[in-house]
Amino acid sequence: MKLETVGKNIIRVDGLAKVTGKATYPQDLYMDNMLYGKTLRSTKPHANIKVDTKKAEKIPGVIKILTYRDVPYNHHGVLFKDHEVFCAKKVRSIGDPIAFVVATCEKTATKALEEIEVEYEELEAVFDPIKAMDEKAPKVHDKSNIIYKYQLRRGDIEEGFKQCDVIVEEEYKTSMVDHAFLQPEAGIAYLENDTVVVCVSTQYPHFDQLEIAEALKIPLDKVKVINPAVGGAFGGREDITMQIHLALATRLIGRPVKAIYTRQESFVAHSKRHPMIMRYKTGANRAGRLIAMEATIVGDTGAYASWAINILRKSGVHATGPYEIPNVKVDSYAVYTNNPFAGAMRGFGATQVPIAHEQQMDILAERLNIDPIRFRLENCFKKGSTTATGQILEESIPLERTIKEVEKQMKKSVVGGV
Amino acid sequence: MKKRGIGYASTFYGTGYGNGFPDISRAIAELGTDGNIYIYVGATEVGQGAKTILSQIAAEALGVDFSSIVFICEDTSITPDAGTAAASRQTYNTGNAIKLASEKLRNEIINILEKRYGISTENIEDYLLQVAKLNGDEALRMDGIFTASTTEMDAETGQGNPYYPYTFSVYGIEVEVDTTTGIVEVTKAVCGQDVGRAINPKLIEGQIDGGFSMGLGYGIMEDINLQSGRIKHDRFTSYLIPTALDMPDIDKIIIEEPEATGPYGAKGIGEPVLVAVAPAILNAIYNAVGVRMKEIPVTPERLLKALKVKERGV
Amino acid sequence: MKKIALNINGEEYVVDINEDMRLIDLLRDKLHFTGTKEGCGEGECGACTVIMDGETVNSCMVLAFQAEGREIITIEGVGNGEALHPIQKAFLEEGAVQCGFCIPGMVLSAKALLDKKPAPTRNEIREGISGNLCRCTGYNKIVDAIDKASKYLKEEGETK
Repeated sequence: MKLETVGKNIIRVDGLAKVTGKATYPQDLYMDNMLYGKTLRSTKPHANIKVDTKKAEKIPGVIKILTYRDVPYNHHGVLFKDHEVFCAKKVRSIGDPIAFVVATCEKTATKALEEIEVEYEELEAVFDPIKAMDEKAPKVHDKSNIIYKYQLRRGDIEEGFKQCDVIVEEEYKTSMVDHAFLQPEAGIAYLENDTVVVCVSTQYPHFDQLEIAEALKIPLDKVKVINPAVGGAFGGREDITMQIHLALATRLIGRPVKAIYTRQESFVAHSKRHPMIMRYKTGANRAGRLIAMEATIVGDTGAYASWAINILRKSGVHATGPYEIPNVKVDSYAVYTNNPFAGAMRGFGATQVPIAHEQQMDILAERLNIDPIRFRLENCFKKGSTTATGQILEESIPLERTIKEVEKQMKKSVVGGV
Repeated sequence: MKKRGIGYASTFYGTGYGNGFPDISRAIAELGTDGNIYIYVGATEVGQGAKTILSQIAAEALGVDFSSIVFICEDTSITPDAGTAAASRQTYNTGNAIKLASEKLRNEIINILEKRYGISTENIEDYLLQVAKLNGDEALRMDGIFTASTTEMDAETGQGNPYYPYTFSVYGIEVEVDTTTGIVEVTKAVCGQDVGRAINPKLIEGQIDGGFSMGLGYGIMEDINLQSGRIKHDRFTSYLIPTALDMPDIDKIIIEEPEATGPYGAKGIGEPVLVAVAPAILNAIYNAVGVRMKEIPVTPERLLKALKVKERGV
Repeated sequence: MKKIALNINGEEYVVDINEDMRLIDLLRDKLHFTGTKEGCGEGECGACTVIMDGETVNSCMVLAFQAEGREIITIEGVGNGEALHPIQKAFLEEGAVQCGFCIPGMVLSAKALLDKKPAPTRNEIREGISGNLCRCTGYNKIVDAIDKASKYLKEEGETK
């Protein structure tokens, strides 16, 4: 196939605006008559709350303070609607939104936050996902903290381990990390006749549109989402943050409303990468063939499900690494705790498991006295391989070639390369 | 003492929502009355290069110059839903939708040229304005819809075809470990990345660099430091991410083996470029100093503690 | 309220400011030089970098009154009218831009570096931009771009 445009290093179309400072991110928008919004967030990880905004409302310049009472449908979420737009009776993690102050300037809005009285009746909290799995653990929502289990069964795991000459058992842990995109969340909402326009950085404008319309109980075509330049996302702009707050505020007040999160607020407002505890048992025979692998994976999704189900599923499917193993048993769990919520982040569950499976590979190779590259070449997916889920890989499977090319280049590039 | 070591990791990544969940992208290709081609699609440019890559696919499918493409993705009221800019799915899924819409538009333009003008040509570029003016103010529009092919896995056995396609990465990394301070420096890397087909090699290289940086942070630097549900590292003074000084120069190897169902054979790479970094660093640390770091990030404190345990021969 | 005069991108401005107003707020909110970005508000990320009397500063850490009588260069003042500065051109050509939020600050740090040191080594370039965080590019193509820009500037100097 002769290609004209595909394959060429065309200069990115949004580049010129970005190198000249003309690219418009939502914080760069200013409108006549606009107001500023600030979010009041929970300072306790698990508590019943009572909110009193009367004192704050009296501050000159405060236009309105939104709470759960103002939201027609007070729920949102990418999969389960387990987030409240504003917490009504209970907070489940530090940073949960409780109220949204709209004022004539940012300073007044900040001052008003301090004057809102929140009475916290603290509840026992759970921060350890393993403890949270216990039936007797405090419930984050009114149901089991285990929100999902994926199980993978292939071959005969017990028989498989019997055939192994070497078995390695280890536990691995990953931390909770942040997307740390450089552009903190920002947005501005305004009315265009009877349509609510929300201008915000997002990964999925059409889904935001849907969630805004649902929360405000207005038809979908009365919501327009404008998505100008986005300052990085990496999964952290999948779940909405300020979108409904802004839309509701502008609809109730009738003036444009803008909000910008500080870096610290950004840290508590958007999702995190799921920390995972991964127990692995992997076995191979003397010839260097992987025979069996068993893994138990627990992912801490914090107080809200977000994409936890899809992520722990992806972890389970990718748990073997890119290797053919005839006998596999994987159990992966997504668990609620009172930690900040975890959701999508670049790699989406497939980022955590290589911390385990790739170290297992090297440990096994060392015990078998085989070069780790040879061990990978022996076991890696090739055209026609079957994955642990029984999927046959039919084309575009250049893993063997990639391993060989990387090894060759490492020998050239790295002094003393093995 | 400073000790060097190398490590490898190989990984795979399944594209898309997966598990049979409807993974649909929609796009519209339009011949504007000004003779330009307008692509309307709700696919977000988050910095990954979607606008450029997807415009290249449109130009290729239409057989027109890249400069004729106007890409519009910023407004839900005029763009069709193309799913989320995540799951490394925009190049593959939305690329396919745009390719379909563009091919339909091209065929329609060829038909019009033949029927109305008796011109039989494969080169539509020179006739765009002529065809555009035919319908007065009404632009010629074609849509394209692409649905990824995956199946729901069996609830008991997890058997099925949960993702499609898969993308592979192999990274080799050299580290230098300072056994006195516990600091790990990544000194060299070779990144082999399967891409199906490279739509824009330079943008792919940029993704590899960026994914590498994020993986490096994940492996040895980043932790929000939770204490009783509170994020202790909630600012850049305490939540450290890599700077220019932390990054090594990288040899990038782009591996092309076209995937028939991808647009011109392309697969998504936005996430795959990240996943092999941290494990390769961990294997390199072991190669350098003989300790297995089973918990990340490998901060200097954690590494020094592990080195002490090893010294005591526990 | 206080009245100050300062020079921004070659033009004189006389503006009313509050005592506690930061330079970044003056630039963005009052004068709408929105190319200057705020990423952290505490001088750690470098997105708000501007050049003040030849030195880079984090405009979130400078109070507006401290800029009185100073010469400020923001991203809007880097190019020459419609023509791109060689640094901007090199950033585009080398693919040094992704989400773009750090780029104005990066370009200004690069400019301050090359103004002082026209032919830096790769490591000196890395040091020169080490106060500017980028989460997308992994910095390597930014380093390539600054390296290329130094060559462009050298050629420009030779033809003048």
